[in-house]
Amino acid sequence: MSSRKGRKNAAQVVRAQIAREKRRTRTIWTSVAAVAVLVIAGLIGWAVYSSQKSETFTTPPGANPPGTAIVLGQGPVTVDLYEDYLCPVCKQFQQTSGETLNQLISEGKIRVNFHPVAFLNRFSTTEYSTRSSAAAGCAAQGGKFKEFTDQLFARQPAEGSAGLSDDELIDIGAGVGLNRDDFGSCVNDGKYKGWTEHVTDDASKSGVTGTPTIRVNGKDVADRSPEGIRAAVEAAGK
Amino acid sequence: MTASRTRAARRPAVRPWLGIAARLGLAAVWLLAGGAKVDDLAASGRAVNAYQVMPYDLATVIGAALPFVELALGVLLLVGLATRVVAGVSAALLLVFVTGIASAWSRGLAIDCGCFGSGGQLAAGQAPSYLPEILRDLGFLVLAGFLLIWPRTPFSVDGWLAGEAPVEDVDE
Repeated sequence: MSSRKGRKNAAQVVRAQIAREKRRTRTIWTSVAAVAVLVIAGLIGWAVYSSQKSETFTTPPGANPPGTAIVLGQGPVTVDLYEDYLCPVCKQFQQTSGETLNQLISEGKIRVNFHPVAFLNRFSTTEYSTRSSAAAGCAAQGGKFKEFTDQLFARQPAEGSAGLSDDELIDIGAGVGLNRDDFGSCVNDGKYKGWTEHVTDDASKSGVTGTPTIRVNGKDVADRSPEGIRAAVEAAGK
Repeated sequence: MTASRTRAARRPAVRPWLGIAARLGLAAVWLLAGGAKVDDLAASGRAVNAYQVMPYDLATVIGAALPFVELALGVLLLVGLATRVVAGVSAALLLVFVTGIASAWSRGLAIDCGCFGSGGQLAAGQAPSYLPEILRDLGFLVLAGFLLIWPRTPFSVDGWLAGEAPVEDVDE
């Protein structure tokens, strides 16, 4: 009686041990599988990003030497503007302080490096930020960057919308005096999309995390009012 | 039956349902976070770069990989495969995020955490909301911690592989 009970206990212990062993093996393999899934997911992300990145780009005429902005004016003080054509606050800034910048340019006090960054692609359904910036490159090619930029802000589409279509961008370009055929094919070919990426990467590298960012001689200007801009330029010019 | 035994008996009956709530909740967090970033990997890289803790080129690689890793974590939690390991990775990642936000805060950076895909930039005039972001991540960390301690939940691949009744409570 007692020996039979002992055997039964021993069998139970062995069974429990085998079950534990099986459980351990299973846990190890599911863990390995899960970690492999995570690693592969990360690699996929990297691969997708690398394939999206364009290797080469064409810099439009009128750009600064590093090819990261279009230069307006020739004054001694450098004003860097980082703006996205979809950014509502950029539009506000252009409306309130744009005229002051124009005056400072015509007074020969500043040169503006306008960086048309594409930060807000996720806020349109058609990557309007990239398309509009690349189209601005086409406008620079035709010598009408400033006029085209002003029109884009005047006709800024709402965030979350499809933005202006390529055809509408071409119409705006033709409206400011660009050659419809040259400008149109430049926009349709996306000739300057690689450049837009370059401009955007450079902005991020330079520590720009939002639009608009205004820098006078490399220093961030917090007060974007006409008076604030003028004061920062005066201070930098001394 | 004593009172303490009834309580002990009732608790394991509730825990699996808390467990599945935690598992699916955390799965939703990762799927939303990854899904919001996956359509603009460049922006995700910029959001990582905005923390200014690593070189730009590394930030873009991390930023590109992160949404996919988050989606994978979400799917693994959704199906309940290797829940303990996945919960552990989730907790580690959340700790990294909390540390990153806290460090951005302490360095006086004005950024959005970019957690659910806003590219790291704040709208002008918008103050950073570091504390709510950290508290939110700590909340997610609680979910991960629960699953780390009690990984077995009903309707999971883990349970199915084990061929066990879903409610059986085995610590693996």
